[in-house]
Amino acid sequence: MLRYTVKRLIQGVVTVWFIATATFFAMHAVPGDPLTSDKAVSPEIRANLEARYGLDRPLVEQYWIYLTNMASGDFGISFTQQNREVNDIIAEHFKVSATLGILAIVFAAFGGILWGAVTALYRNRAPDIVIVFLVILGISVPSFVFAAFGQLSVVKLNDWLGFTLVPVAGWGTVQHMIVPSLVLGLGTMAFLTRLMRSSMLEIVNADFVRTARAKGLPATRIFRKHQLRNAILPVITVLGPSIAAITTGGFVVELVFAIPGLGRYFVQAVQQLDYTVIMGTTVLYGAFLVFMVIAVDIVYGLVDPRVRLD
Amino acid sequence: MSALLDVRDLRVEFDTYGGTVQAVRGVSFALEGGKTLAIVGESGCGKSVTVQSIMGLIPRPPGRITGGAATLDGHDILRDQKIDGKDIRGRLVGMIFQDPMTSLNPTMTIGDQIAETLQVHRRYSRRQAFARAIELIEMTRIPEAAKRARQYPFEFSGGMLQRSMIAMSLACEPAILIADEPTTALDVTIQGQILDLMGDLQRDTGMAIVLITHDLGVVARMADDVLVMYAGQVVERGGVDDVFYRSAHPYTLGLKAAMPTNRSDAEQTLTPIDGSPPDLFAPPPGCGYFARCPHAMQACEGNPPQAFALGTGHEARCWLHHADCGQDAGAVYREHSQ
Repeated sequence: MLRYTVKRLIQGVVTVWFIATATFFAMHAVPGDPLTSDKAVSPEIRANLEARYGLDRPLVEQYWIYLTNMASGDFGISFTQQNREVNDIIAEHFKVSATLGILAIVFAAFGGILWGAVTALYRNRAPDIVIVFLVILGISVPSFVFAAFGQLSVVKLNDWLGFTLVPVAGWGTVQHMIVPSLVLGLGTMAFLTRLMRSSMLEIVNADFVRTARAKGLPATRIFRKHQLRNAILPVITVLGPSIAAITTGGFVVELVFAIPGLGRYFVQAVQQLDYTVIMGTTVLYGAFLVFMVIAVDIVYGLVDPRVRLD
Repeated sequence: MSALLDVRDLRVEFDTYGGTVQAVRGVSFALEGGKTLAIVGESGCGKSVTVQSIMGLIPRPPGRITGGAATLDGHDILRDQKIDGKDIRGRLVGMIFQDPMTSLNPTMTIGDQIAETLQVHRRYSRRQAFARAIELIEMTRIPEAAKRARQYPFEFSGGMLQRSMIAMSLACEPAILIADEPTTALDVTIQGQILDLMGDLQRDTGMAIVLITHDLGVVARMADDVLVMYAGQVVERGGVDDVFYRSAHPYTLGLKAAMPTNRSDAEQTLTPIDGSPPDLFAPPPGCGYFARCPHAMQACEGNPPQAFALGTGHEARCWLHHADCGQDAGAVYREHSQ
């Protein structure tokens, strides 16, 4: 178990290094650089700036400098924002994005498992048909539409109540977090519902469920101990990639709900070719996803005794 | 003595996209305490459906019990909803199934799965039930029971899983053990061990066994009484010696002829029964075996044969036994019984 974890962590670090390398060279392959702007800059000033930031050196040397700095935890200074280190930007905004993402994934996982199980148990009856219809809606409608609908309903709700129960936008309290994380998790929840439904349908008629019934167990116990536990396994498998979908999908929701998350900086940095911020945010997101997937794999080993972690 | 399990004229149907399948068409049998009843027949003849419908294990819908009665220890178990189901299953009747590899929950330890039955039916505490589970595992001759109880099904071999299934089904000391092809998925040496174990446990506990199988070798070894089923009906019933040595239905003869032997002077090829079973969406009006029967007569096509009593408890559904039958039934069966 420990050996497995260490092995996976080392693999994870290598993956993150790959991500950093690929991003670095792809970023530099884009025409222009952070010093290119609307304002005319004389060639002398430009040369000075390039020398100041080391942009005049060969690409491989820049890469090496970047890697050594990154290894010591220094992501550099933003090109476009005054006096801000990339580390500060990440420290301030990543916890917001992470909170939002984790809430969304928790909501998606619990919702998906619940609705999936319900649809399977009520196969081809009213609850199944209604939920499956909503699932198709949830998978096909993009999150910004849900975000707008979410805001609209919050406005109507507050209007009807006469006081602000749930704020429309912003960040800070638990009330702020509810609607955006619901909206963010909706697509994934729909996807997990579908997955859970099919896996549950397989389990409902499995031989070991028949055995459980032959033992005379009550239906609730069969559901809890025999059906759910086994049907949940494929859902856990895709939780890792789902976290990826949710964190990358978070930008739009953060924008609509005016949440001070990292997504905005990520998008802005790419538009402005702010090299250090692009690298910092990409490596961070990459590392986050890689280690979430590892965490999910380790959890899987705990849930399914057949998976030996070594 | 009244029978422990008494089933009369049981009829079961299944609604499918293709129509209604008449899976069981009037099956009756009686099982006495401590005896072994074997139900034999080819795949799809309704032998599993018969016992599963009595136990309330067929999915309803699409399954439907359209007629008949079944009493267990004098209680009506098909009609009485209070008795039906979980009070009987696991407590009065234990069941084991064909494929032990898939019949156990892969994410629970063997001990917990055995203990579960005791927790539900006997209200044992978790610890008490687990301790009893270890004793039950020992009883089925699995070595290192205490260690084994904490292992998961994937750590067991097929034979040991079937032993665990037996331990599980016998946890509440049921009066009847229903074994639905218990050895089909196991190799021959393990088959022998499992059958021996079942026989020994039957002697110790006095339980009755309903053994569903299509292996006549298993029947000969285990059974007191035999039901031969074909196309959802019992075509022949009787004591094991009656059915084997005085076979009275062409289908039984066909099954016997299709059995492999290890006699060196025997013919090298098996004799299969030609054709396939009738369509149970629309069962034939006469004898179900008519289309495949080497002794079929005109009367067999349109008239369902009645059961002819041939001796104590021995009867067969075949027109050859009718007094007006042109063929000499005795001669037909004697010839085959050589």
